[in-house]
Amino acid sequence: MKTAGPLLLLIEDDPQLRPLLITTLESQDYKVLAVAGGREGLTFARNRQPGLLILDLGLPDIDGQEVIRRLRTWSELPIIVLSARDQESDITQALDNGADDYLTKPFSTAELMSRVKALLRRVAKLPGGAQEYFQVGELKVELTKRRVFVGEREVHLTLIEFRLLSELVRNAGFVVTHRQLLEKVWGASYVEHSHYLRIYMAQLRHKIESDPARPRYFLTEAGVGYRLCAEDMP
Amino acid sequence: MILSVERTLLKSTSKAAEKLFDYHHSESPSHGHWLWGIAIPLLLTLIDWPFREILTTSNILMFYLLGVFFVAIRFGFWPSILASLTNAGAFAYFFAPPIFSFAIAEPENLAGLAVTMVVGTVTSKLAENVRHQARVAEQRERRVSALYRLSKELAEARLETEIIEIGVRHIYAEFGGRNTFLFPDRNGLLCYADEPPLDISLQGANLSVARWVFNHGQMADKGTDTFSDSSIYVPLNGSTGTIGVLALEQINLPGIFFAEQRQLLDTFVNQIVHTLERANLAEKAKEATLKMQAETLRNSLLSSISHDLRTPLATIVCAASTLETDTGQLDEDRKRKLAGAISEEAQRMSDLTTKILEMARLEAGEVVLNRQWYAPEEIVGSALRRLDKKLKSRQVNVTMTDGQALIYVDAVLLQQVIVNLLDNADKYSPPGLPIGISVETAPSGLSIAVADSGLGIPEHLQEKIFDKFFRIHAESAQSGVGLGLSICRAIVEAHGGKIHATNRSIGGAVFQLHLPVSEAPPIIDPEEKS
Repeated sequence: MKTAGPLLLLIEDDPQLRPLLITTLESQDYKVLAVAGGREGLTFARNRQPGLLILDLGLPDIDGQEVIRRLRTWSELPIIVLSARDQESDITQALDNGADDYLTKPFSTAELMSRVKALLRRVAKLPGGAQEYFQVGELKVELTKRRVFVGEREVHLTLIEFRLLSELVRNAGFVVTHRQLLEKVWGASYVEHSHYLRIYMAQLRHKIESDPARPRYFLTEAGVGYRLCAEDMP
Repeated sequence: MILSVERTLLKSTSKAAEKLFDYHHSESPSHGHWLWGIAIPLLLTLIDWPFREILTTSNILMFYLLGVFFVAIRFGFWPSILASLTNAGAFAYFFAPPIFSFAIAEPENLAGLAVTMVVGTVTSKLAENVRHQARVAEQRERRVSALYRLSKELAEARLETEIIEIGVRHIYAEFGGRNTFLFPDRNGLLCYADEPPLDISLQGANLSVARWVFNHGQMADKGTDTFSDSSIYVPLNGSTGTIGVLALEQINLPGIFFAEQRQLLDTFVNQIVHTLERANLAEKAKEATLKMQAETLRNSLLSSISHDLRTPLATIVCAASTLETDTGQLDEDRKRKLAGAISEEAQRMSDLTTKILEMARLEAGEVVLNRQWYAPEEIVGSALRRLDKKLKSRQVNVTMTDGQALIYVDAVLLQQVIVNLLDNADKYSPPGLPIGISVETAPSGLSIAVADSGLGIPEHLQEKIFDKFFRIHAESAQSGVGLGLSICRAIVEAHGGKIHATNRSIGGAVFQLHLPVSEAPPIIDPEEKS
């Protein structure tokens, strides 16, 4: 089955998992370029212009975090991180370094496929300029007009609440870390003041969710950040 | 080749040594003392002169004798001999007729003078001995108290580094030389300790000499032919052989060589060696106990998880090999079922592994709480979402009082607690019956209760169910290793809270946990109205 889809770069050192992932991804019409080491991976990322990077954090030669950092100095290449360490701090660090999404091992291939698809879709959408309109379920957000509706009911948000919401909307379907939200909404000097985020998140949920204790839209990724549910979300 | 100090040599010199046994305090008479040996007789002569008509010559000799005693007691033996001689001269010149001449005419006076000089010499010798005894006693007392101070400090020391530090300090204080203890490394080769040295530690000891001493269990010092080092090396001989070497710089070289000082050094070293051995034994005993505990834990872990990991593995291996050897007999539906079984059982194994690792991390004390301010409803919400699939067909009643009030917790771990409790509640409640979770944020702290509709927990087991690997029905159909609740307890206790289980009056069990609040929630700047 020869494929014509976008080129995916896979950096994974596990000799069992690598061929398995290649088979799975190729069966979905992606071209796959697989390497075992971070240095080699960085070279390929530069020379072959892949459309997406799937990166294992635990690599033999250089740390996965370092790969992300180096890559981000010159590339916007979307990155999905695979982590065997279920330590939230690793994941948070990877996201703060510039990774777009993450999966913890073990994961199902279906999950990986939907993340890959979603990420590629987002990249395809980006050049279209500022998004104007967002809808998921009952929630409708008009970004330029700063209006928010749940069903027919208009919800009135404060300036900060709206900024928080629009930051999540911009990344709908993807995790945004606590640090990223604090920095974007309140500014760099607030990155340690996580309680601001918690308080405003709770306010936002109480204004929008029908049951704030079982949120439908504003999902919590414990220890990592928040994810706004998207229509086509993985 | 290399010689240790010969004991015999020491013995032969010990007489001389004893006289000067303490270098710091040994007394060779100073110039002043000699002067007094002349001055006292001259003074007496001056006093006696006016009375020469009244006193007999034997009386005057008595006065001179008194002077000799005084000099002997105050200034030592040799000045007193000098005093005796001066006396003899002065007596002959000034008092024994003919006066102003050293000649003595009367045999009576000659005899008197001779007797006086003999008596003076003998008593001086006796006085000197008394002085010496007193000094010996004083020195002994000083050594005993030095030894006492060392023992007292050693008695309180527990760690090897502490003991060595005490040893170095006391040896420095007593013998005045920088010193260090050398112990064999893992390869049995003598080397410096890893700890940073004290400023009174000896650096630059001759390691090859030290190693010789260590291997032979014999002392080496300057008397030894082959090395010109100014330090001495004393083996630390313990009950099971030489355990190390003391290298001591010889600042006051003679001091060390006198028998008593040597004995004292030996006693010091013995004390230190015994304390070290005691500490090592205590350490070994502790290690053995820990090892045994770890062994017990490992055994119960192995027996417990081997069942729980083998069961899903059996399914996986079986299904996978069926798929592997299939030559086309299996239809699509069957294949999918087999694959489904594999993935389901693998997921179960993954959950188990996560729990075991989590417990191991908590047990090892590696978990540092990452406390931040969180709204309880958010933590409960994310826990419920993690169990979304499992709880799909189950009614979960959530009651929340003040779910927005911030609490200072490690959200990831607390979420784990709630997930485990809800998971248990789901497992032990018959299908179709509701489970409930209620959260209450009060000024005193956060209370969470998870209630199920199962059979409840027998009263005598309500404490035991939090133990590791404990399950009410071992090897039951319910998958689990009996770690969920132990993890809950470890996390809650790490937060300074408490967790316990009771039965509900209407049936089923309820798990309640309470986390105390120690700090007031932070206040945020109000938002400007836009």
